[in-house]
Amino acid sequence: MSQQAASQHAAPADRPLLGVGILGAGPVTQAIHLPALARLQDILEVRHIMDVDAAVASSVAARVGATAGTSMAALLDDPAVDVVAICSPHQFHADQVIAACRAGKKAVLCEKPFAMNAEEAARISAVSSETGVPIVVGAMHTFDPGWLAAEQNWGDLPGQVHTIRSSIVLPPNARFEDFATEIVTRPAAGRPDYSDPDVIKSALRGGIMGLAIHDLPLVRRFTPDFTDLEVLQVFHVRPFGYAVSLRTPTRVIELRAVMNGTWKPEWTFEAIGDDAALHIDFTPSYVQAGSAVATLTRGNGSDTRTFGPYGHNGYEGEWRELAGLARGTRQAPAAQTLIDDLTFALAIADATAASAGAGHAGAAEKAGVTP
Amino acid sequence: MSGQYTVSASPAAREEGAVTQTVASLPATFGPAPESRQGTADVLVVAGGPGWTTEALHAVAAGARGVVVANPAPEDTTELAAAVDAAGTAVVLDLRWASNPALVAEGSAPDARDAVRSALGSASLLDSVATAAPGTDPQRLLGEHLAALLAVSGPLDGVSLLRSDATGYTVAGRLANGAPFTAQGVLTAARPAAVDIRLYTADGGVSVQVPDPDAAWPAEVRVTGAHGELLLPTLYESAHRSAWRRLKDHLGAGTRPDDLAGFARLTDLYATLAAT
Repeated sequence: MSQQAASQHAAPADRPLLGVGILGAGPVTQAIHLPALARLQDILEVRHIMDVDAAVASSVAARVGATAGTSMAALLDDPAVDVVAICSPHQFHADQVIAACRAGKKAVLCEKPFAMNAEEAARISAVSSETGVPIVVGAMHTFDPGWLAAEQNWGDLPGQVHTIRSSIVLPPNARFEDFATEIVTRPAAGRPDYSDPDVIKSALRGGIMGLAIHDLPLVRRFTPDFTDLEVLQVFHVRPFGYAVSLRTPTRVIELRAVMNGTWKPEWTFEAIGDDAALHIDFTPSYVQAGSAVATLTRGNGSDTRTFGPYGHNGYEGEWRELAGLARGTRQAPAAQTLIDDLTFALAIADATAASAGAGHAGAAEKAGVTP
Repeated sequence: MSGQYTVSASPAAREEGAVTQTVASLPATFGPAPESRQGTADVLVVAGGPGWTTEALHAVAAGARGVVVANPAPEDTTELAAAVDAAGTAVVLDLRWASNPALVAEGSAPDARDAVRSALGSASLLDSVATAAPGTDPQRLLGEHLAALLAVSGPLDGVSLLRSDATGYTVAGRLANGAPFTAQGVLTAARPAAVDIRLYTADGGVSVQVPDPDAAWPAEVRVTGAHGELLLPTLYESAHRSAWRRLKDHLGAGTRPDDLAGFARLTDLYATLAAT
C-alpha cells in the first residue's frame, strides 16, 4: 500500500484538536485505543497509523479516516501528529520512544513495558529530559478513576500495608476484543510446549511483563522497600498464568493469574494493613465498561467507603492525561517513577524466571491441565 | 429443661463454641444440665485448645453420650479415637469454618465439597485466603484454614510453609492433578474474619466464601462454567449449629460421626507443615 497524503484535518481555531499518530495497529490499537479515542473526539483525532503490515495499516486507518503507512519516520515527520502512541511489539518500544521524543512531538504514550532493561530505560529518561517531551507509560490502572479516587482518600493506608495481592482471571483476549471492535489480522495463537523448561521460563517472564505489569505500579505504590525482593515460590499455571509469592522486609506480595476459557473475568487488587484495607475490582481491558470500583474498609468491614464505578476506564484516563500534557495543562510524570516501575517489574520477571529455572520448572512441567 | 439431652460446658468451651445460643436453637433436643449434674450431663462440651484430646478422654470416661469439641487445634487423636470406639461415644468437632453446612451438606444436597471435587480434574489453580484479627495465632489460624480446605478438596501434596509471621502465612503445594495450590493467612482488623477458596478450572471454577460462625450469615458457593454461574442454596445456619444438628442426628439414630477420622488428615498435614 502506498503512503497516503499528509493529514488534511482542519483544527478548530478556538480549541485545536490534538493529532494522534499510532505506531503498531494490532489488536490493542484496534480494540483498546481506537474505541477509547472514539470517546474523546472533542480533544483528540487519530491522524496517522503505521504498521509493518501495509494491509493492516490501511484497513485500520481507513476506519478513522487517518493516513496509513509502513514507515515510522513518515509518521514522526507528519506535522499533523502531535501525540505519538507506541503500540508495537515490546522490543521496539525504547527506540521508538526515543525517536518520537527527538521528532519534537508534544507527548508520547508507550505501551507497557516501555523498555526491556534498565539501560534502555536510562536512555529514554535522558532523551525525555533533553527534549522536554513528556512520556506516559500505558499502565492503564494507574489512570483509572477508581484507583485515583482511592488514592485521594486512603489516608495512612500505604504506611500500614503489610500484604498486597494482585489476582487476574481472564479469558483469552479475543473474547473481549470481539466485544470492542471487529479485529483485522489477529495473530495466530501458539500452542506452547510445556515439556520444555525454557518454554515455561519464557511463559512466566511473559506473564509478569505482559500481565502482572498492569498492576505492578500499584503494588510498588505500597512497597517502599521494593528494591529488596525475595521470591518465596513460583508456580506456572496452565494453560497460562502464574502464582508468585514474594516478600520484601516489610511487605508480602502475592501475584496470581489464570487465563482460561472462562467467561467471567476477575481482576482484583488488594492492599491490606492492620486496620485498613483497599480492594479494587477492575473492569477487563478492551471493553468500555467504565472504571474500577475501589473499596476502602476499616473496623472489621463495618466502616466502608466505595469509589466508582465512574464512566470511563484507565485507557481513556491515560489519553486524557496525554492531552493535558500535550497542552501543557498537566505536569509530566517523574521519569524516576517510570524507571522505578520498570526496574521493579524486571526484577520480579528475572527472579521469577530464575526461580523456575532453579528447580521449579520440572514441577511446573507436570502442573495443571493440558493446554 | 425441656431438651432430650442435657448439656454441660466449661466457661471456656461455652465461649469458644457459642454453646448457650446454639443449644437454645435446638430446644427440643438439647438443654442445659442442672448445676448438680454438670459432670454427668449427656453431652459434654470441650474447648479445643491445646490438650483438648485429654479433656475429651475424660468426658468419654465420664460416660457422656456425646462430646462436642469447640474449635479443636490439630492434635493427635489416636488414643481418643480408640476410647471413643470402645465407649460408643458420638464425638462431633465444631470447626470454625469447616463445619459450615455449605461445605459439606447432609444427604444429597448440593455442597461446596461436591462442587470442588467434581472440578478438580481440570483444575488450574486453587487459591485460598483466610482472614482473622491481628493478634490471632497464625499457627492456629492455619489449622482452621487447612481444615476448611481439606473439607472440600482432595489430597494436597507437597505442602510447605513458605512464611509465617505476625501478619499471616503463606502455604503452597499441589493438587492431585499437579496444579498448584496456595493458601494465605492475613491478619487484619479491616475485614471480618472469613475464609475464601477459589478453584480455577479450564472453563470456570468454584468460589467458596465462608464467614465466621458467630452469626448465621450464610456461606456463598458459586460454580462457574460454560452454563453461566450457579449459586448454591444459601443456608442460614452457623458452623456451630450445624455441628450440633449433626450430633442430634447421630444421637437420634444411634450412629457415630467420623469427625475424628477426618481430623486425622488435618493433624497429619499440620505435622508435615510443622516440620518444614
